[in-house]
Order: sequence, then structure tokens, then C-alpha cells
Amino acid sequence: MMLHLLNRSPRSTATYQDLSEAFGADDHLLLIEDACYAAQASASAALEPFGGRVSVLQEDLVSRGLAERIDPSVGVIDMNGFLALTETHERCVSWF
Amino acid sequence: MLNYALLLHAAPYSHQAALSALRFADTVVANGHRMKTVFFYHDGVHNASALMAPPQDEVHLADGWKRLHQEHGTELLVCVAAGLRRGLLDVSEANRHGAVSHSLEAPFELTGVGQLIDAMLTSDRMITFAP
Repeated sequence: MMLHLLNRSPRSTATYQDLSEAFGADDHLLLIEDACYAAQASASAALEPFGGRVSVLQEDLVSRGLAERIDPSVGVIDMNGFLALTETHERCVSWF
Repeated sequence: MLNYALLLHAAPYSHQAALSALRFADTVVANGHRMKTVFFYHDGVHNASALMAPPQDEVHLADGWKRLHQEHGTELLVCVAAGLRRGLLDVSEANRHGAVSHSLEAPFELTGVGQLIDAMLTSDRMITFAP
């Protein structure tokens, strides 16, 4: 059970591809920084490989003006939620 | 309570990563965990500059790291090889290299990558922030 931290926009297709190949059945993906763009409803294809186990960081979303454009399958969490994910997942890997 | 270590690869102000890491560190201590170590690597060493002087209405990242050390005892470890290449020298390294001044002061410490391995082995969580 691993937490994957991703900060690249969905234009970085190779990073998303590599991540999808490493993503395990019990893993969770957190989108931060420019990866928030992948949480838009219009970009939902980028998140298909992750089976709905995806969250996005609220303050990075708001700072990019994306708060109203989010795909409903993506959970929105704040910094405390980010920390909580690192508490419940013993290992965290960052993709960049 | 968990012991956290952060690995920061990103220069201050060039990317969001340094600010993300500082915000995360503040959240760690606000929730009762221990922010044990921050390791500054690659361009992340610039976070340790004693000469950093951002505008007063912007976040002062180096002061943010120092505050974590002062209030929570966080170790601020700077990779010596990455630092020297980029002009991050403490007094002793500045003297050794004949530099006109130094640019790194306590509580930041120049250390080797062995200290990063040690932080990985002695912390419950290691979170990487990169550009």
C-alpha cells in the first residue's frame, strides 16, 4: 500500500504512463501543484488507470482557479488530509 | 506520533516545491508529529542561503526553515557536494576555498549523503518534494 505523490500536469504523459505501470491495487494517488490540472473533468482520461483512488490538494486547486471544474470521482483534501494520507501509507513515492 | 523526514530537490521561488515542502512541514508539527529532518539536495540547497532577501510581503523560505529548527528542533541538512558547487559555503568551507564570504550559517549544516541515508533509516516517513 503506497502513496504516490504527483506534481506534473497531465501534459507530462510519460510520467503518467510510468506511474500507471507502477500503481498497485491498494495504492493511492495524490495530485499536488500542476498535477491539479489532471483533476479537471475535461482531463479525466489521464486518471483512468488509477481506478478512482485519487485525491487532489485543495489549496493548489484553488490557487489555479480549478475548484469548480473538478471531476466528481476525485476527492478534494486539504493539507491535513495530505498528512493523514502519509500517516496511513507507510511508503510515499514522488513522481516528477 | 511519527518521525518525518523531507527531501527537497527544488530551489526556492523557481518552483512551488519548496513552498509545498514548508507547508507540509508546518502541518506535520501542527498535528503533533515530529519534523525530524529536512535534507536539501540538488538545487534545493539554495533554500539554505544566509543571503536570501525576498521582498518583505513574500514568504521568506529560509526563515521558515529556521523557524522549524528553533521551535521544533528540526535538523536542516544541506548536501555538501551540491552546496559547494552552487556557492553554499559555511565559514570553514569559505576559508578553505579562499572565498570572499560565506553564505550558509547554522542552523543549516553541510553534511554528506550518508546523513540522508541515516534520515531515511531513522524516520517513519520520508516525503520527497521536487521541481
